[in-house]
Amino acid sequence: MEFKDYYQVLGVEKTATAEEIKKAYRKLARKFHPDVSKELDAEQRMQEINEAKAVLSDPEKRLAYDQLAQQYHSGQDFQPPPDWDAGFEYSGRGFEEADLGEFSDFFANLFGQGSRQRGGGRAGRGYQMRGEDRHAKVVIDLKDAYLGATRSITLLVPQVDAQGRVSSKEHTLNVGIPKGVKAGQHIRLSGQGSPGIGGGPAGDLFLEIHFIPDPRYRVEGRDVHQTVPVTPWEAALGASIETPTPSGIVKLKVPAGSQSGRRLRLKGRGIPGPDPGDLYVELAVVLPPADSDKARELYETMARELAFDPRQRKGG
Amino acid sequence: MVQRAITSGDLIDEATLTLDELARACSVETDWVIERIESGLLADGSPYVASWRFTSHDLTRARRMHQLERDFEAAPELAALAADLIEENQRLKDRLRAAGL
Repeated sequence: MEFKDYYQVLGVEKTATAEEIKKAYRKLARKFHPDVSKELDAEQRMQEINEAKAVLSDPEKRLAYDQLAQQYHSGQDFQPPPDWDAGFEYSGRGFEEADLGEFSDFFANLFGQGSRQRGGGRAGRGYQMRGEDRHAKVVIDLKDAYLGATRSITLLVPQVDAQGRVSSKEHTLNVGIPKGVKAGQHIRLSGQGSPGIGGGPAGDLFLEIHFIPDPRYRVEGRDVHQTVPVTPWEAALGASIETPTPSGIVKLKVPAGSQSGRRLRLKGRGIPGPDPGDLYVELAVVLPPADSDKARELYETMARELAFDPRQRKGG
Repeated sequence: MVQRAITSGDLIDEATLTLDELARACSVETDWVIERIESGLLADGSPYVASWRFTSHDLTRARRMHQLERDFEAAPELAALAADLIEENQRLKDRLRAAGL
């Protein structure tokens, strides 16, 4: 476990006032908030920032941390010395118990489960607490939503040893993804969250579903949109074509007189479910290149024989 | 090679969350949820809210509002407004993507 310099995380001096800490926190929270930030590591940075704020905005925690920080620097290997926090009493202000699930081992060892299990706080005899619920994202193919799938996910789970030290352990789960799942929907895995304290039950794990972006398909709720290229003669004369879709190859009737942008609805061919979505196929007419004598001759014949001016039709 | 058992879960929406489950999943007290429902900031218009049941969308919104309130010390109404705008932005982006733009 590495020592964390919370002042460095917030970019403030060690002498910063409460107001300066609040200001620095808000500025960084605005930059790294996962809902708005485009930074790749936004979630991790936000966790560090919240953690630093939880300590530095609480006078008691800050005082205890400052005393400890005199002996360590950022990134240095660290184990909390025994009774490092003797003489300090935390009120719990500045963070909520459940936030601990989102904080680092370093924080948990100093102020969370680890410190409580070492004998401080509420970890008295017979104290039991349900483990916290945890949240993770799982990214699947659109095809998985049509057919169902199994995905292996690895999560870091905090473990507290007999001495109350907290460490992270990798926990791999094979998760059944049910058919018909939508982007943004959650799967709840009972008892797969953080372990309970004092023999309390484990929390639940909530998995939020996201789809891997696929240039062929666009998803809106349970409706799926795709573009299908067609030849000019298929569009003009009508045709029966085969096209791949997320649920496999389907035969599609292209109506005569179709233009690029025409949308055909395949009812119930979207993501399955109690109220299945539709598949919208948008036709895109693709012209063959005039890259041979024959092709050029055909285009010249059309130019001569067909009285066709698309600009005139559009009134332009 | 280690063979791991397949863990199956409940698909939220088909099985909705209770008030306690929603509060726990968002790391808040049930009163926090109740206050925001009574103020029309959460689960507004949901057909399940009358029976105190909650969907995936309610879970996402409640977690988002809680984070906004906590991270920016925002008033619940302001967090709800930001959540509205984020949801609307997401909807518009989805529609643009669906239109191939």
